[in-house]
This record gives sequence, structure tokens and C-alpha cells, in this order.
Amino acid sequence: MNANPSVDRHRLSTLVCCGLILCATTGCSRWIEMTDPSTEMDERTPHIIARDEQVPLIVDRIRTTRNGSPQNPSVETEQRILNSLADIGLFSRLTPGNESVSVSGEKTVRARLLFDEAVDPHAGAAAWKGIIIGASMYLLTPFIPLEYDYTAHLSLELERWDGQIKRYESHSAGTARYHLFGATPIMVDELKGHVTESCLAALASQIANDTVFFSASSAPLSVSGIRSVSVKPRPIRPSASAAIHISAPTPVEP
Amino acid sequence: MTPSPIAALIAFAVVLSFLRMTCQAEDTVPHLTVGSQEISLSAGYLISVRLTDQHTTKQSGPAVMPSWAMVLTDPIGWRWLRGQLMLGAEIVYIQFQEPQLTHGVGFTPKIKWLFEGTGRLRPYVEFAGGPFYTDLGGQIPEESARFNFILTAGGGLSWFFTPQLSFNVGYRFHHISNAGTRYPNLGLNASLPFGGFSFYF
Repeated sequence: MNANPSVDRHRLSTLVCCGLILCATTGCSRWIEMTDPSTEMDERTPHIIARDEQVPLIVDRIRTTRNGSPQNPSVETEQRILNSLADIGLFSRLTPGNESVSVSGEKTVRARLLFDEAVDPHAGAAAWKGIIIGASMYLLTPFIPLEYDYTAHLSLELERWDGQIKRYESHSAGTARYHLFGATPIMVDELKGHVTESCLAALASQIANDTVFFSASSAPLSVSGIRSVSVKPRPIRPSASAAIHISAPTPVEP
Repeated sequence: MTPSPIAALIAFAVVLSFLRMTCQAEDTVPHLTVGSQEISLSAGYLISVRLTDQHTTKQSGPAVMPSWAMVLTDPIGWRWLRGQLMLGAEIVYIQFQEPQLTHGVGFTPKIKWLFEGTGRLRPYVEFAGGPFYTDLGGQIPEESARFNFILTAGGGLSWFFTPQLSFNVGYRFHHISNAGTRYPNLGLNASLPFGGFSFYF
């Protein structure tokens, strides 16, 4: 019995269409895996604080590092951290350090925060996989996923008005897995957003557990009201010992 | 108004807008991250390169190359080698005006290394290869088949007017042959200086 060529052609075109649809859909997919899912949020018990027990929080400093090297903190990240601290409801108001107006005799909590992020785009693997995908004329796109890792570590130091210090730390990590056509800069932002949110939630949970410690009636204001700070020069690395040019002021002729 | 003053007016407007864009220096450093994409259109003129005595054809003609590419990595590497890897694809259209009016079209996946450069000025090197169909094949002694492959290697400079838009100039070396599927298969070699624009998003 001879096969009908038109039926064969129809089957072939259907198969090709299915293959293309499969490639297009799976080749564009992406998903985020949180490697340290925060469970503390659900376990958090509500803490209640009276409005007159709330004290202002002054954010002295937010330091940011990426893969160990210091960075200028981005306005978005800074704002997000401040919002997260404000959302706890523990403090009457939030004031960035540079805007703080010291009110004598007012109980305040001062915050110093280190936001350490680690980014691993798996550049080497992406390069090799990219070469293989390109060499296959993109046919292997649905079968070769690419990865982008992001880890956030938050360290918060809260100093009560009487000088007592409490330290909090939280950690969160996630991986964005994507196929070539699913990659967008938004994907990286989404990953960073999820990881940062998880990290902030864990931190907020820890602070909320210390509600009593930060309530206004928990400790009296220190008598002197003068805070002492240690002043020290930044350590200078031996390699950075280049001479600094100091120009003497030019005498002005009378 | 005659056509030449209109052309002069358009040229003047283009120069003015170019100057305006280049004056906005602060905001013109591109910020390309993983997943950033590039759409590009380049055009150039193919010039024959005869590598051996057996190569006799002096093929030449204009070439147009629309392309797409995606940034695969954040900046990696050290010192002047630091840059980003891009993966993309390109359609190559060549109109051979010599030795006779014929055409060629190909599709080539390409890989590109975009150096960090000075921020606005970013050099790059690229390599591409893929199938190429031309009706010049069979009409010249170097190439007997119409179905061929094209291999391209070259480099260029991207000057960013804005973080999204760059002007590119560069040079490529083209090799066209049929990978031994038919004989003779001496192959055609050519130089291709080109210029074009890229849009990043």
C-alpha cells in the first residue's frame, strides 16, 4: 500500500509546528529557586506596643558590599530597608542619620546596617553553554538552562538610648534558572527582590521578638545624655602608601 | 526647493542631533546586564581577497547585516580584557555586483565579546558562522555549489550616543565555501568594512 504524500506532508508540518512551539515555550522559560526559604515569617507571633512606648529610630549608617568590595548604597535598596524597618511598627518614626535632629532628653535607637550581597552569574558556564547553544543554531536552547545566583546577608546593629547594643543577622539566597530566550534584566531584578525581601523579613522577625527591649519604658535615659564614640583612622594598606601631594598656600602679595 | 538643499538640510539636522546627543556625556555610559538585548543593523561593502593564485574571481558588492544579540554575562575578565559575552544571530545579505549581479543570503549564529573600553567607547570582537545560499555558486571557478557556509571574524568599535544607542564601525573577514560537499571548493574570501547602529534594551 502506498503512503499518501499529502498526509505525510501534513504530519511532517504538524510535527515541525509542535517542535517549534515546544522550543519557543520552553526556550523562553525562567524560574527562581530560593535556596534559603525563610520560614520565620509564618512563625512570627504578633507583638503589641503602645504608641507612647515607641521611640524614634535614627539610621546612622547603611553600608553595602558586593562580593566583598564596598559599594555606594543604591537609593532603592536604602529606601527598601528603611521601609522594612518602618513596617515593623516598633519605632515612632524613622530618621536617616544625615537628617537627624538631636533632641535633648529624647530616647532614641540608633541603627547601623551592613548589607552584603554576593552575585554569581556563572559567567564561565554561561559562556560555554552560549557557545554550544549558538553552534547548535539555537536548537539546544530548551535543553540547556543557565543560572544566576544571588545571596544577601544583612547585619543590623541597634543601639538603645542607654548604650546597650543588640545585633541581628539574616541570610537569604536564590538562583534564577533560565533558558536563553527567557533572559531579561528584569529576571535579575526579580531574583534580587525576592532574596532581599526574604532577608528583610527574617530580620524584621528577629527585631519584632525584642519589642520589650526597645519600648520606651524598658530603660531610663542615661543621666549625662552624652554619647561617646570612638574615633580612629582607617587602616592604610601598605600598597596604598603613595605620597599625597600637599600644596602649600601661595603667599598673596599685598 | 531642489533636492540638494533638502539633502543639506537633513544632513544639518542629523549633525545637530548628533552633537546634542554627544554633549549629554554623563548619561551615556551603557549599563548592560545579563539579559540585555541588542538589535543592530550594519551595512558595508565586500572587497575581494584572493589568497592564492587559483583564486581569480574579484567578487564585490554591498552587504547588509541585521542582527540580534543578548548579553550572557556581567563584566568579567581583568584589565583591558574585561568585558561581556554576547550571543546572537545575524542575517547576512550580499549583493554581488562583480563578477556578475548575483545575490547571497545567510543565517549565522554569532558570538561577540564586548570590551568595557572607556564606557562610551566599547571595542568588540565577534565570530559568526552558518549556512549561506548564493546564486553566484556554479558560475565561478572557486565555488561549484549554491548552498554554502559563511564564516566571519572581525572586530569593531561601538560609540554610545545614549545608554541605548550606539554607532558601530568595524572590519570583518568573510570566508564562503561549501565544506567539501561539492568540488571545486576553493572558497571565496573577502574583506568587509562596515558601519551601523545598535539599539540596546
